Amino acid sequence: MKKIMLTLKINGDKYEIITYPNRTLLEILRDDLLLTGTKESCGEGACGACTVLLDGLPVRSCLLLATEVKNKEITTIEGLAKGEKLDPVQESFIEHHAIQCGFCSPGMILTAHSLLNHNPAPTEEEIRFAISGNVCRCTGYAKIVEAVKALSKRGRE
Amino acid sequence: MGDFSLIGKSMKRIDTPLKATGQARFSSDLMLPRMLIGKVLRSPHAHAKILEIDISKAEKLQGVKAVITAKDTCADKWGVFRYTQDQQFLPTDKVRYVGEEVAAVAAVDEDTAIQALKLIKVEYEELPAVFDIKSALESGAPLIHQDHPGNINIHVNIDVGDVVKGFGESYCVREDTFTAPEDSYFQGEPYAVVAQYDHTGSLEIWMPNAGPHLKAKPLSNVLKIPLNKVRVRKIAIGGAFGGRSEISPADVICAFLARKSQRPVKLVYTREENSIATRQAHSMIATIKTGVNKEGRVISRDITCHMDGGAYSSTGPIAVSVPFLCMEQAYQMENVRYNGYRVFTNKPIRGMFRTHGRAFACGVDLQLDMIGQELGINPLEMRLRNARKVGEFTPTKSYVASCGMTETILKAGEKAGWNEKWGKLPPYHGIGIGCNSVQTGFPMGIRGGSQAFIKFNEEGGITVITGIVDNGQGNDNMIVQIAAEELGLGVCDVQLINADTEVTPSDPGSYSMCETFIGGNAVRLAAQDAKNKLLKIASEALKASPDELTVKDRKIYIEKSPNKSISLSKIIRIALSRNESISGEGSYWPKVDSKREWVENPSGQLSETFSFGTVITEVKVDPETGKVDVLEVTAAQDVGYALNPKVIEGQFEGGIAMGGQGGMLSEYILWYNGRVLNPDQLDYMVPLAIDMPRINNIIVETIDPNGPYGAKEAGMSIAMSAAQAYCGAICNAIGVNIKEFPLTPDKILNAIEKKVKGEQNP
Ligand code: FES
Ligand code: FES
Repeated sequence: MKKIMLTLKINGDKYEIITYPNRTLLEILRDDLLLTGTKESCGEGACGACTVLLDGLPVRSCLLLATEVKNKEITTIEGLAKGEKLDPVQESFIEHHAIQCGFCSPGMILTAHSLLNHNPAPTEEEIRFAISGNVCRCTGYAKIVEAVKALSKRGRE
Repeated sequence: MGDFSLIGKSMKRIDTPLKATGQARFSSDLMLPRMLIGKVLRSPHAHAKILEIDISKAEKLQGVKAVITAKDTCADKWGVFRYTQDQQFLPTDKVRYVGEEVAAVAAVDEDTAIQALKLIKVEYEELPAVFDIKSALESGAPLIHQDHPGNINIHVNIDVGDVVKGFGESYCVREDTFTAPEDSYFQGEPYAVVAQYDHTGSLEIWMPNAGPHLKAKPLSNVLKIPLNKVRVRKIAIGGAFGGRSEISPADVICAFLARKSQRPVKLVYTREENSIATRQAHSMIATIKTGVNKEGRVISRDITCHMDGGAYSSTGPIAVSVPFLCMEQAYQMENVRYNGYRVFTNKPIRGMFRTHGRAFACGVDLQLDMIGQELGINPLEMRLRNARKVGEFTPTKSYVASCGMTETILKAGEKAGWNEKWGKLPPYHGIGIGCNSVQTGFPMGIRGGSQAFIKFNEEGGITVITGIVDNGQGNDNMIVQIAAEELGLGVCDVQLINADTEVTPSDPGSYSMCETFIGGNAVRLAAQDAKNKLLKIASEALKASPDELTVKDRKIYIEKSPNKSISLSKIIRIALSRNESISGEGSYWPKVDSKREWVENPSGQLSETFSFGTVITEVKVDPETGKVDVLEVTAAQDVGYALNPKVIEGQFEGGIAMGGQGGMLSEYILWYNGRVLNPDQLDYMVPLAIDMPRINNIIVETIDPNGPYGAKEAGMSIAMSAAQAYCGAICNAIGVNIKEFPLTPDKILNAIEKKVKGEQNP
């Protein structure tokens, strides 16, 4: 296999990468760029731990080849906080005890962040539906739903 | 309780900012200079002799830096107890399950490592295998371990009172058999290890663990290096649920690869490897015979339970005992006999799981419902009449120092509207109740106690040093909360060094639900030790006796005249200038009976205290599809005292997801000839956010006399009793008692069909 060169836009930065064309975005993020906030739990698109945002929408980086995401804006969990200032979703997860072991949290937070961007006033049902591609083994989801609900413009009805 | 600044408050956890931002590092996130990638070769056979392993070709592959087999790891056998040492980290003579480790490689990258595995040639001679309890017990069944005739790994016998006489005196007796297959831990984080071993002969290692010291000792044994050369480091851990307690072959393999290559090695399990080659939960067949009097009080109980333990002992003696012990704690039992057997099969190794023994606990509870049906007593009333009370002894002679069993039943019943709903719900609606009790620690030999140190900096801030580990449940925060509270500090004044075997003293680990009780007590005592030293200096400065003084907001002041105060930093400076030590030291040893032994002597104080929990579940079953819609779950647990209520609620909710929603509706391992058919996330059904019902949390506080601030185990009683409540509710909804768990749609439809045809008695 021949290596190829590709340019990725991640968290506002440009990276020029020389790599094999069969590598997933997840592998490039974690192994080459040391953006290890993105996690691998199932490796087959079923758990959402590897979620990143592609032009603002959640995708599973374990299912994407890095070559497929050229020219797109990629956001990983490392790109969500602005310097010392956390994103409101991150704040809310901390505040509402929505994090236990934290392995699902980066993916879960990015999914919630994207939901709120596209639907600022989600109902509880919409929240549950939106995060149902992200598996959490610890929390039973109750506090995660509360954390997102607290940011919904609909309020905590 | 007293007037606390931090204790009892739902303060934000100190570890979660790192986890919310991706800054928390888990084992597989580590990257070290010159690091290699490790991979394990696994057995394709369930039972086979190893005739020869040829690694020569693999060793010659460009990029391969180390290949190891049993020749490298010595033939030593590992086991939790002296009498259960039956597992080699890499086997020499035979493999006993599909997926068992046979050899391993370390190479410059993953592709090379995988290629190298393919070049290892193993010659096997296949042996007949057994895949279930029944065939393992048949006479003439192939023996999995030569020294265990009949494939019986462990037999625990408990016999209290006179069971036969008890049945004679009973008004109503019934016997039922309940079964459940294996379930999977499915921690968020697949197992991962990073190790480095240098020319000074020291090992440094990171892995998910439920107690770094529990890992360090066996590593030192097998590597044949002194314990102080084994440095298990702190790392973020993505869930344990009972499955990260023991040493794992992965730890040993990674350490040997690092030693042989003299380079750091990272070994990350795939999801499938995590499901097959870490631990699984036992499958179980429990036959329960119960006799009650007219009022529904249990007079006599006789239980025989067989558990499929897989190929090796693991925590066998504990695993056989715990389902019974939970139930003898939860309910009064005068005459009781228990025969628990753990059976070897050619399947992966089984450990202790958060809802260990669902066939057992659900069986005991469902049978209480059935007996109630016969006597015309409703399930909640049946629980009340048999509930454990404070001040009693369990049949195996554990004193119950605090107990809110009755209160949890009453409060859960009231919140769930039991009286309004029981017997009055529309067709295919049902309500069920489950009760359980969990230990707060076991007798653990020399590892039974915990120690903690506290040191001050010159500003009055502290560093706490303890072996306590956090698996995700919030233990790091608990340590800081306790230390800050005792010393009148803010959270930001406390630094934490924990779960590192080089620096921290001994600790039992986050095992047996004991960290808050044992580790938390040690931290509290260390803080009090330091506080006493501070008070001594302050009393001189303020000209008041130490018992007139209070510590708060980084100051010590006279309680009656709060304007007379001295800051902690001033006291520290005085101490430093006088060459006086003001570090704190604390240790806690739980009051358990050290002579109690799981098999030889299952009698005496098991745990210093116990938690008690009740769950009530309301469901609606679709009789066309067998699908269960869970409407509401109410969980009440006696936690002693809630150090951080939100953390405890999180434990309840997670327990309901794992024990009830997953454990009773969808989670089980599927097999074909010893092969796991659903090791992956697509096929093993863990609950998702859309599946989860509305949950009511009720925290009951009984203020345990010896817990830190009265606290004890928090959350496990809920995980266990959730499965029982789900089971009772579904059986109530369909009017049939199903005895094979989990209650999947096919079983529910079958039961409904049989009932309609009049084939099955409820
Ligand atoms: S790791 Fe990508 S979805 Fe699970
Ligand atoms: S917090 Fe552990 S998996 Fe979600």
